[in-house]
Amino acid sequence: MDIFIAGFGTVGQGVAEVMKERAAWFERRFDECVRIVGALDSSSFEFSSNGLDPEVLIRRKKMTGKVGTIELKDESCHILRQFDYDVLVEVTPTNISTGEPGYSNILTAMESGKDVITSNKGPLALKFSELIRIAKRNGVQLRFEATVGGATPVINLSRELLMGERISSIRGILNGTCNFILHRMREEGLPFAQALKEAQEIGIAERDPTYDIEGVDSACKAAILANAIFNLNKTYKDVKRNGISGITEDAIALAAEEKKVIRLIAEISSKRLEVSPRLVPVGHPLSIGGTLNIIQLSTDLAGEITVVGRGAGKFETASAILSDLVALLKDKSTR
Amino acid sequence: MKVNVDLRLKDVPGQLVLALEPISANGGNIVGVVHHRDVVVGGHITVNVTFEIKSEKTLERILETWKEREIDVARLGSIYETISIEYLLVGDISTGELNNIVKEIESMEDLESINIRYSVSHLSNGKAAFLIGKVRKRETSERIEELLNVKAQEHGFLVIRSLGD
Repeated sequence: MDIFIAGFGTVGQGVAEVMKERAAWFERRFDECVRIVGALDSSSFEFSSNGLDPEVLIRRKKMTGKVGTIELKDESCHILRQFDYDVLVEVTPTNISTGEPGYSNILTAMESGKDVITSNKGPLALKFSELIRIAKRNGVQLRFEATVGGATPVINLSRELLMGERISSIRGILNGTCNFILHRMREEGLPFAQALKEAQEIGIAERDPTYDIEGVDSACKAAILANAIFNLNKTYKDVKRNGISGITEDAIALAAEEKKVIRLIAEISSKRLEVSPRLVPVGHPLSIGGTLNIIQLSTDLAGEITVVGRGAGKFETASAILSDLVALLKDKSTR
Repeated sequence: MKVNVDLRLKDVPGQLVLALEPISANGGNIVGVVHHRDVVVGGHITVNVTFEIKSEKTLERILETWKEREIDVARLGSIYETISIEYLLVGDISTGELNNIVKEIESMEDLESINIRYSVSHLSNGKAAFLIGKVRKRETSERIEELLNVKAQEHGFLVIRSLGD
Protein backbone atom coordinates (compact mmCIF):
# COMPACT_ATOMS: atom_id res chain seq x y z
CA MET A 1 0.00 0.00 0.00
CA ASP A 2 1.54 3.26 -1.16
CA ILE A 3 0.94 6.37 0.91
CA PHE A 4 1.25 10.03 -0.01
CA ILE A 5 1.46 12.40 2.97
CA ALA A 6 0.20 15.94 2.31
CA GLY A 7 1.36 18.24 5.10
CA PHE A 8 4.58 17.52 6.96
CA GLY A 9 4.28 19.47 10.20
CA THR A 10 4.06 17.82 13.60
CA VAL A 11 1.26 15.43 12.59
CA GLY A 12 2.80 14.48 9.22
CA GLN A 13 6.13 13.71 10.88
CA GLY A 14 4.35 11.69 13.57
CA VAL A 15 2.62 9.62 10.90
CA ALA A 16 5.93 9.03 9.08
CA GLU A 17 7.60 7.90 12.31
CA VAL A 18 4.78 5.52 13.17
CA MET A 19 4.75 4.06 9.65
CA LYS A 20 8.44 3.26 9.88
CA GLU A 21 8.05 1.82 13.36
CA ARG A 22 5.07 -0.36 12.35
CA ALA A 23 6.38 -1.43 8.90
CA ALA A 24 7.28 -4.98 9.98
CA TRP A 25 3.95 -5.37 11.77
CA PHE A 26 2.04 -4.33 8.65
CA GLU A 27 3.90 -7.06 6.69
CA ARG A 28 3.29 -9.68 9.33
CA ARG A 29 -0.34 -8.83 10.07
CA PHE A 30 -1.63 -7.90 6.63
CA ASP A 31 1.02 -9.34 4.34
CA GLU A 32 1.28 -5.88 2.93
CA CYS A 33 4.22 -3.57 2.37
CA VAL A 34 3.04 -0.17 3.54
CA ARG A 35 5.34 2.53 2.20
CA ILE A 36 5.47 6.28 1.95
CA VAL A 37 5.97 7.09 -1.74
CA GLY A 38 5.25 10.80 -1.62
CA ALA A 39 5.30 13.71 0.79
CA LEU A 40 4.67 17.41 0.41
CA ASP A 41 4.57 20.51 2.55
CA SER A 42 3.78 24.14 1.76
CA SER A 43 7.00 24.73 -0.18
CA SER A 44 8.36 21.39 -1.43
CA PHE A 45 7.65 17.79 -2.34
CA GLU A 46 9.34 14.45 -2.86
CA PHE A 47 8.18 11.34 -4.69
CA SER A 48 9.63 7.92 -5.43
CA SER A 49 7.65 4.94 -6.64
CA ASN A 50 10.26 2.77 -4.88
CA GLY A 51 9.33 4.29 -1.52
CA LEU A 52 10.85 7.04 0.62
CA ASP A 53 12.70 6.61 3.89
CA PRO A 54 10.61 8.32 6.61
CA GLU A 55 13.77 9.09 8.58
CA VAL A 56 15.30 10.96 5.66
CA LEU A 57 12.10 12.98 5.19
CA ILE A 58 11.94 13.91 8.88
CA ARG A 59 15.64 14.79 9.05
CA ARG A 60 15.42 16.97 5.96
CA LYS A 61 12.33 18.74 7.29
CA LYS A 62 14.05 19.44 10.59
CA MET A 63 17.26 20.69 8.99
CA THR A 64 15.95 22.66 6.04
CA GLY A 65 12.31 23.28 6.89
CA LYS A 66 11.36 21.42 3.72
CA VAL A 67 10.24 17.80 3.35
CA GLY A 68 11.29 17.50 -0.29
CA THR A 69 14.10 18.41 -2.61
CA ILE A 70 11.75 19.68 -5.30
CA GLU A 71 10.24 23.14 -4.98
CA LEU A 72 6.46 23.29 -4.88
CA LYS A 73 5.65 25.80 -7.61
CA ASP A 74 2.06 24.76 -8.14
CA GLU A 75 -0.87 24.11 -5.85
CA SER A 76 -0.42 20.88 -3.91
CA CYS A 77 -3.50 19.25 -5.49
CA HIS A 78 -1.82 19.45 -8.92
CA ILE A 79 1.15 17.50 -7.56
CA LEU A 80 -1.19 14.86 -6.15
CA ARG A 81 -2.75 14.43 -9.58
CA GLN A 82 0.64 13.69 -11.21
CA PHE A 83 1.70 10.67 -9.18
CA ASP A 84 0.44 7.21 -8.43
CA TYR A 85 -0.29 6.04 -4.89
CA ASP A 86 -3.10 4.22 -3.03
CA VAL A 87 -3.92 6.37 0.00
CA LEU A 88 -3.63 10.09 0.66
CA VAL A 89 -2.92 11.00 4.28
CA GLU A 90 -4.09 14.62 4.33
CA VAL A 91 -2.67 16.38 7.39
CA THR A 92 -2.27 19.99 6.26
CA PRO A 93 -3.32 22.65 8.81
CA THR A 94 -7.03 23.34 9.33
CA ASN A 95 -8.34 26.38 7.51
CA ILE A 96 -11.83 27.12 8.67
CA SER A 97 -12.54 29.91 6.18
CA THR A 98 -12.03 28.03 2.92
CA GLY A 99 -10.99 24.51 3.94
CA GLU A 100 -7.95 24.86 1.67
CA PRO A 101 -5.55 23.39 0.76
CA GLY A 102 -7.07 20.32 2.42
CA TYR A 103 -10.33 20.42 0.51
CA SER A 104 -8.69 20.43 -2.96
CA ASN A 105 -6.15 17.80 -1.89
CA ILE A 106 -8.89 15.45 -0.66
CA LEU A 107 -11.09 16.11 -3.70
CA THR A 108 -8.23 15.51 -6.16
CA ALA A 109 -7.22 12.27 -4.50
CA MET A 110 -10.77 10.89 -4.35
CA GLU A 111 -11.51 11.85 -7.93
CA SER A 112 -8.35 9.95 -8.92
CA GLY A 113 -9.72 6.88 -7.14
CA LYS A 114 -7.57 7.11 -4.00
CA ASP A 115 -8.72 6.45 -0.45
CA VAL A 116 -8.16 9.38 1.91
CA ILE A 117 -7.35 9.57 5.63
CA THR A 118 -7.39 13.03 7.14
CA SER A 119 -6.92 14.90 10.41
CA ASN A 120 -7.95 18.18 8.76
CA LYS A 121 -11.17 19.54 10.27
CA GLY A 122 -11.65 22.40 7.81
CA PRO A 123 -12.93 20.50 4.74
CA LEU A 124 -15.17 18.26 6.85
CA ALA A 125 -16.61 21.04 9.02
CA LEU A 126 -17.47 23.00 5.86
CA LYS A 127 -18.34 20.47 3.15
CA PHE A 128 -18.92 17.09 4.78
CA SER A 129 -21.89 15.92 2.70
CA GLU A 130 -20.30 16.94 -0.57
CA LEU A 131 -17.08 15.07 0.24
CA ILE A 132 -18.94 11.93 1.31
CA ARG A 133 -20.97 12.05 -1.92
CA ILE A 134 -17.79 12.35 -4.00
CA ALA A 135 -16.16 9.48 -2.09
CA LYS A 136 -19.19 7.26 -2.80
CA ARG A 137 -19.32 8.27 -6.45
CA ASN A 138 -15.67 7.30 -6.88
CA GLY A 139 -15.92 4.11 -4.83
CA VAL A 140 -13.26 5.25 -2.36
CA GLN A 141 -13.13 5.68 1.40
CA LEU A 142 -12.79 8.96 3.24
CA ARG A 143 -11.75 8.30 6.84
CA PHE A 144 -11.38 11.02 9.45
CA GLU A 145 -11.04 9.59 12.96
CA ALA A 146 -8.22 12.07 13.70
CA THR A 147 -10.44 15.11 13.13
CA VAL A 148 -12.20 14.71 16.48
CA GLY A 149 -10.53 14.15 19.81
CA GLY A 150 -7.10 12.91 18.68
CA ALA A 151 -6.66 9.63 20.49
CA THR A 152 -10.31 9.25 21.57
CA PRO A 153 -11.59 6.85 18.92
CA VAL A 154 -15.18 8.04 18.91
CA ILE A 155 -16.00 8.09 15.19
CA ASN A 156 -14.92 4.57 14.32
CA LEU A 157 -16.35 3.33 17.63
CA SER A 158 -19.76 4.79 16.82
CA ARG A 159 -19.84 3.92 13.13
CA GLU A 160 -18.35 0.46 13.33
CA LEU A 161 -18.45 -1.23 16.74
CA LEU A 162 -21.69 0.49 17.81
CA MET A 163 -23.29 0.35 14.36
CA GLY A 164 -26.34 -1.53 15.67
CA GLU A 165 -26.97 0.87 18.55
CA ARG A 166 -29.26 3.87 18.45
CA ILE A 167 -27.18 6.77 19.67
CA SER A 168 -29.45 9.47 21.08
CA SER A 169 -26.88 12.02 22.13
CA ILE A 170 -23.21 12.80 22.34
CA ARG A 171 -21.76 15.15 24.91
CA GLY A 172 -18.15 15.87 25.43
CA ILE A 173 -15.15 18.05 25.98
CA LEU A 174 -13.51 18.36 22.59
CA ASN A 175 -10.94 21.06 23.24
CA GLY A 176 -8.06 20.47 25.63
CA THR A 177 -6.97 24.12 25.66
CA CYS A 178 -10.30 25.36 27.05
CA ASN A 179 -10.40 22.55 29.55
CA PHE A 180 -6.92 23.37 30.78
CA ILE A 181 -7.85 27.06 31.23
CA LEU A 182 -11.11 26.30 33.09
CA HIS A 183 -9.34 23.70 35.23
CA ARG A 184 -6.58 26.16 36.20
CA MET A 185 -9.09 28.92 36.96
CA ARG A 186 -10.84 26.60 39.38
CA GLU A 187 -7.78 24.99 40.95
CA GLU A 188 -5.67 28.12 41.41
CA GLY A 189 -8.33 30.82 41.42
CA LEU A 190 -6.67 32.41 38.41
CA PRO A 191 -8.40 35.05 36.29
CA PHE A 192 -9.15 33.97 32.73
CA ALA A 193 -6.37 36.10 31.17
CA GLN A 194 -3.73 34.62 33.45
CA ALA A 195 -4.83 31.02 32.90
CA LEU A 196 -4.75 31.68 29.15
CA LYS A 197 -1.26 33.17 29.40
CA GLU A 198 -0.09 30.10 31.30
CA ALA A 199 -1.57 27.87 28.59
CA GLN A 200 0.27 29.89 25.94
CA GLU A 201 3.56 29.73 27.86
CA ILE A 202 3.52 25.94 28.06
CA GLY A 203 2.48 25.61 24.42
CA ILE A 204 -1.08 24.42 24.94
CA ALA A 205 -2.70 27.55 23.50
CA GLU A 206 -1.86 29.35 20.25
CA ARG A 207 -0.62 32.93 20.24
CA ASP A 208 -4.00 33.83 18.74
CA PRO A 209 -6.26 31.65 20.89
CA THR A 210 -9.58 32.82 19.38
CA TYR A 211 -10.19 29.58 17.49
CA ASP A 212 -10.02 27.57 20.73
CA ILE A 213 -11.48 29.90 23.38
CA GLU A 214 -14.43 31.08 21.32
CA GLY A 215 -15.43 27.47 20.75
CA VAL A 216 -14.78 27.38 16.97
CA ASP A 217 -12.55 24.29 17.20
CA SER A 218 -15.16 22.47 19.31
CA ALA A 219 -17.92 23.58 16.94
CA CYS A 220 -16.04 22.12 13.95
CA LYS A 221 -15.73 18.80 15.78
CA ALA A 222 -19.39 18.91 16.84
CA ALA A 223 -20.44 19.45 13.22
CA ILE A 224 -18.27 16.51 12.08
CA LEU A 225 -19.80 14.24 14.76
CA ALA A 226 -23.32 15.42 13.86
CA ASN A 227 -22.73 14.52 10.22
CA ALA A 228 -20.75 11.33 10.74
CA ILE A 229 -22.85 9.78 13.50
CA PHE A 230 -26.29 11.37 13.15
CA ASN A 231 -26.23 11.57 9.34
CA LEU A 232 -27.00 15.27 9.39
CA ASN A 233 -25.87 17.85 6.90
CA LYS A 234 -24.31 20.55 9.06
CA THR A 235 -21.38 22.90 8.88
CA TYR A 236 -19.64 24.37 11.91
CA LYS A 237 -21.66 27.55 11.32
CA ASP A 238 -24.84 25.63 12.20
CA VAL A 239 -23.48 24.92 15.67
CA LYS A 240 -24.84 27.29 18.34
CA ARG A 241 -21.70 28.51 20.00
CA ASN A 242 -20.54 30.27 23.14
CA GLY A 243 -16.89 30.29 24.15
CA ILE A 244 -15.19 30.60 27.52
CA SER A 245 -13.71 34.11 27.32
CA GLY A 246 -16.62 35.51 29.39
CA ILE A 247 -16.06 33.14 32.31
CA THR A 248 -14.97 35.06 35.40
CA GLU A 249 -13.39 34.07 38.70
CA ASP A 250 -16.69 34.88 40.40
CA ALA A 251 -18.53 32.47 38.12
CA ILE A 252 -16.03 29.69 38.84
CA ALA A 253 -16.20 30.36 42.60
CA LEU A 254 -20.00 30.49 42.70
CA ALA A 255 -20.20 27.23 40.75
CA ALA A 256 -17.70 25.67 43.17
CA GLU A 257 -19.91 26.57 46.14
CA GLU A 258 -22.63 24.47 44.50
CA LYS A 259 -20.13 21.63 43.92
CA LYS A 260 -20.05 22.31 40.19
CA VAL A 261 -17.31 23.02 37.69
CA ILE A 262 -17.68 24.91 34.42
CA ARG A 263 -16.69 22.99 31.31
CA LEU A 264 -16.98 23.80 27.61
CA ILE A 265 -19.35 21.05 26.46
CA ALA A 266 -20.28 20.08 22.92
CA GLU A 267 -23.74 18.54 22.72
CA ILE A 268 -25.13 16.76 19.70
CA SER A 269 -28.63 15.30 19.71
CA SER A 270 -31.84 15.56 17.71
CA LYS A 271 -32.71 18.69 19.76
CA ARG A 272 -29.37 20.38 20.21
CA LEU A 273 -26.24 21.08 18.25
CA GLU A 274 -24.23 23.39 20.40
CA VAL A 275 -21.00 24.21 22.14
CA SER A 276 -21.33 26.16 25.36
CA PRO A 277 -19.99 26.43 28.90
CA ARG A 278 -22.07 24.21 31.21
CA LEU A 279 -22.31 23.50 34.93
CA VAL A 280 -21.05 19.98 35.55
CA PRO A 281 -21.33 18.28 38.96
CA VAL A 282 -17.97 17.55 40.57
CA GLY A 283 -17.28 13.84 40.12
CA HIS A 284 -19.27 13.55 36.88
CA PRO A 285 -17.14 12.07 34.07
CA LEU A 286 -17.43 15.35 32.14
CA SER A 287 -15.92 17.28 35.08
CA ILE A 288 -12.51 15.94 34.08
CA GLY A 289 -9.63 18.41 34.30
CA GLY A 290 -6.39 19.01 32.41
CA THR A 291 -6.04 18.78 28.64
CA LEU A 292 -7.85 15.49 28.19
CA ASN A 293 -10.78 15.08 25.81
CA ILE A 294 -13.80 13.09 26.86
CA ILE A 295 -16.83 11.99 24.91
CA GLN A 296 -19.99 10.39 26.27
CA LEU A 297 -22.37 8.53 23.98
CA SER A 298 -25.92 7.73 25.08
CA THR A 299 -27.05 4.53 23.42
CA ASP A 300 -30.30 2.57 23.66
CA LEU A 301 -28.82 -0.85 24.47
CA ALA A 302 -25.43 -0.25 26.03
CA GLY A 303 -26.46 2.87 27.95
CA GLU A 304 -23.76 5.45 28.41
CA ILE A 305 -20.35 4.85 26.92
CA THR A 306 -17.52 7.19 27.83
CA VAL A 307 -14.27 7.54 25.94
CA VAL A 308 -11.40 9.52 27.41
CA GLY A 309 -8.08 10.28 25.79
CA ARG A 310 -5.55 12.85 24.77
CA GLY A 311 -7.11 15.26 22.35
CA ALA A 312 -4.07 16.37 20.41
CA GLY A 313 -0.39 15.73 19.90
CA LYS A 314 1.98 14.19 17.41
CA PHE A 315 1.58 10.53 18.26
CA GLU A 316 -2.00 10.81 19.55
CA THR A 317 -3.14 12.09 16.15
CA ALA A 318 -0.89 9.56 14.40
CA SER A 319 -2.66 6.87 16.45
CA ALA A 320 -6.04 7.92 15.05
CA ILE A 321 -4.63 7.97 11.52
CA LEU A 322 -3.11 4.53 12.12
CA SER A 323 -6.56 3.19 13.13
CA ASP A 324 -7.97 4.44 9.82
CA LEU A 325 -5.07 2.93 7.91
CA VAL A 326 -5.60 -0.41 9.65
CA ALA A 327 -9.30 -0.25 8.72
CA LEU A 328 -8.33 0.24 5.05
CA LEU A 329 -5.85 -2.65 5.24
CA LYS A 330 -8.45 -4.93 6.85
CA ASP A 331 -10.96 -3.95 4.23
CA LYS A 332 -8.46 -4.66 1.48
CA SER A 333 -7.51 -8.05 2.93
CA THR A 334 -11.15 -9.19 3.05
CA ARG A 335 -12.00 -8.02 -0.44
CA MET B 1 -40.81 13.19 40.46
CA LYS B 2 -42.37 13.62 43.86
CA VAL B 3 -44.57 10.82 45.23
CA ASN B 4 -46.86 10.76 48.24
CA VAL B 5 -48.18 7.39 49.47
CA ASP B 6 -50.15 5.94 52.35
CA LEU B 7 -48.72 2.55 53.29
CA ARG B 8 -50.48 0.03 55.53
CA LEU B 9 -47.93 -1.77 57.67
CA LYS B 10 -48.24 -4.56 60.17
CA ASP B 11 -47.96 -3.08 63.66
CA VAL B 12 -44.81 -5.02 64.51
CA PRO B 13 -41.20 -3.79 64.87
CA GLY B 14 -39.06 -3.48 61.74
CA GLN B 15 -41.94 -2.86 59.31
CA LEU B 16 -41.14 0.81 58.73
CA VAL B 17 -37.52 0.04 57.82
CA LEU B 18 -38.76 -2.66 55.48
CA ALA B 19 -41.06 -0.13 53.80
CA LEU B 20 -38.55 2.70 53.46
CA GLU B 21 -35.57 0.62 52.38
CA PRO B 22 -36.73 0.13 48.73
CA ILE B 23 -36.97 3.92 48.31
CA SER B 24 -33.36 4.57 49.25
CA ALA B 25 -32.20 1.38 47.53
CA ASN B 26 -33.58 2.83 44.29
CA GLY B 27 -31.85 6.16 44.74
CA GLY B 28 -34.93 7.95 46.10
CA ASN B 29 -34.87 10.83 48.52
CA ILE B 30 -37.27 10.55 51.45
CA VAL B 31 -38.75 13.97 52.11
CA GLY B 32 -41.16 13.15 54.90
CA VAL B 33 -42.63 10.29 56.97
CA VAL B 34 -45.80 10.68 59.05
CA HIS B 35 -46.39 7.69 61.28
CA HIS B 36 -50.03 7.27 62.42
CA ARG B 37 -49.26 4.90 65.29
CA ASP B 38 -52.42 5.83 67.17
CA VAL B 39 -54.78 4.46 64.51
CA VAL B 40 -54.51 0.67 64.40
CA VAL B 41 -57.00 -1.05 62.11
CA GLY B 42 -56.94 -4.83 61.84
CA GLY B 43 -53.42 -4.96 63.26
CA HIS B 44 -52.17 -2.47 60.67
CA ILE B 45 -51.08 1.14 60.99
CA THR B 46 -50.89 3.78 58.26
CA VAL B 47 -47.70 5.60 57.36
CA ASN B 48 -47.68 8.55 54.98
CA VAL B 49 -44.43 8.82 53.03
CA THR B 50 -43.32 11.55 50.64
CA PHE B 51 -40.28 10.91 48.51
CA GLU B 52 -38.51 12.07 45.35
CA ILE B 53 -37.39 9.67 42.66
CA LYS B 54 -35.96 9.98 39.20
CA SER B 55 -38.63 8.38 37.03
CA GLU B 56 -41.80 6.35 36.68
CA LYS B 57 -39.62 3.26 36.20
CA THR B 58 -38.09 3.73 39.64
CA LEU B 59 -41.58 4.00 41.12
CA GLU B 60 -42.56 0.74 39.42
CA ARG B 61 -39.54 -1.00 40.97
CA ILE B 62 -40.41 0.35 44.44
CA LEU B 63 -44.06 -0.73 44.09
CA GLU B 64 -42.92 -4.16 42.99
CA THR B 65 -40.70 -4.55 46.08
CA TRP B 66 -43.54 -3.42 48.38
CA LYS B 67 -45.78 -6.03 46.79
CA GLU B 68 -43.15 -8.73 47.38
CA ARG B 69 -42.88 -7.61 51.01
CA GLU B 70 -46.66 -7.63 51.39
CA ILE B 71 -46.80 -3.92 52.15
CA ASP B 72 -50.18 -2.50 51.10
CA VAL B 73 -50.30 0.76 49.22
CA ALA B 74 -53.56 2.28 50.50
CA ARG B 75 -53.22 5.46 48.46
CA LEU B 76 -50.83 6.62 45.81
CA GLY B 77 -51.21 10.27 45.06
CA SER B 78 -49.89 13.77 44.52
CA ILE B 79 -47.47 12.56 41.93
CA TYR B 80 -45.73 15.27 40.10
CA GLU B 81 -42.40 15.63 38.48
CA THR B 82 -39.93 18.07 39.94
CA ILE B 83 -37.28 19.25 37.61
CA SER B 84 -34.22 20.97 38.98
CA ILE B 85 -33.18 24.16 37.29
CA GLU B 86 -29.75 25.68 37.68
CA TYR B 87 -28.35 28.67 35.85
CA LEU B 88 -25.24 30.68 36.36
CA LEU B 89 -25.49 34.23 34.99
CA VAL B 90 -22.16 35.92 34.34
CA GLY B 91 -21.39 39.49 33.37
CA ASP B 92 -22.41 43.07 33.92
CA ILE B 93 -25.88 42.58 35.32
CA SER B 94 -27.49 44.86 37.87
CA THR B 95 -29.15 43.66 41.05
CA GLY B 96 -32.34 45.40 39.92
CA GLU B 97 -32.39 43.47 36.68
CA LEU B 98 -31.70 40.20 38.50
CA ASN B 99 -34.61 40.90 40.84
CA ASN B 100 -36.86 41.55 37.84
CA ILE B 101 -35.83 38.22 36.33
CA VAL B 102 -36.54 36.40 39.59
CA LYS B 103 -39.95 38.12 39.88
CA GLU B 104 -40.83 37.06 36.35
CA ILE B 105 -39.84 33.48 37.13
CA GLU B 106 -41.81 33.56 40.38
CA SER B 107 -44.93 34.53 38.46
CA MET B 108 -44.74 31.32 36.42
CA GLU B 109 -47.11 28.51 37.22
CA ASP B 110 -45.66 25.15 38.28
CA LEU B 111 -42.75 26.77 40.02
CA GLU B 112 -41.87 24.98 43.24
CA SER B 113 -38.95 27.12 44.37
CA ILE B 114 -36.44 29.64 43.13
CA ASN B 115 -33.40 31.00 44.93
CA ILE B 116 -30.67 33.33 43.87
CA ARG B 117 -27.13 33.73 45.17
CA TYR B 118 -24.84 36.56 44.21
CA SER B 119 -21.10 36.77 43.93
CA VAL B 120 -19.32 39.53 45.78
CA SER B 121 -17.07 40.80 43.00
CA HIS B 122 -16.21 44.47 42.85
CA LEU B 123 -15.60 44.15 39.10
CA SER B 124 -18.72 45.26 37.28
CA ASN B 125 -18.23 42.82 34.39
CA GLY B 126 -17.06 39.91 36.51
CA LYS B 127 -20.20 39.45 38.57
CA ALA B 128 -22.07 36.20 38.72
CA ALA B 129 -25.41 35.03 40.08
CA PHE B 130 -26.54 31.48 40.67
CA LEU B 131 -30.22 30.74 40.11
CA ILE B 132 -31.38 27.48 41.57
CA GLY B 133 -34.89 26.11 41.80
CA LYS B 134 -37.43 23.44 41.03
CA VAL B 135 -40.32 23.33 38.60
CA ARG B 136 -43.02 20.75 38.05
CA LYS B 137 -43.15 20.83 34.27
CA ARG B 138 -40.46 20.58 31.65
CA GLU B 139 -42.22 23.33 29.68
CA THR B 140 -41.71 25.68 32.62
CA SER B 141 -37.99 24.96 32.70
CA GLU B 142 -37.89 25.59 28.95
CA ARG B 143 -39.73 28.91 29.43
CA ILE B 144 -37.23 29.94 32.09
CA GLU B 145 -34.35 29.12 29.78
CA GLU B 146 -35.98 31.10 26.98
CA LEU B 147 -36.52 34.08 29.31
CA LEU B 148 -32.89 34.00 30.46
CA ASN B 149 -31.61 33.79 26.89
CA VAL B 150 -33.70 36.82 25.86
CA LYS B 151 -32.51 38.81 28.90
CA ALA B 152 -28.92 37.73 28.23
CA GLN B 153 -29.15 39.11 24.69
CA GLU B 154 -30.72 42.36 25.92
CA HIS B 155 -28.23 42.98 28.70
CA GLY B 156 -25.14 41.24 27.32
CA PHE B 157 -24.53 38.67 30.02
CA LEU B 158 -23.73 34.98 29.68
CA VAL B 159 -26.11 32.20 30.72
CA ILE B 160 -24.52 28.93 31.76
CA ARG B 161 -27.00 26.12 32.20
CA SER B 162 -26.50 22.82 33.95
CA LEU B 163 -25.50 19.67 32.16
CA GLY B 164 -28.97 18.21 32.73
CA ASP B 165 -29.94 14.56 32.46
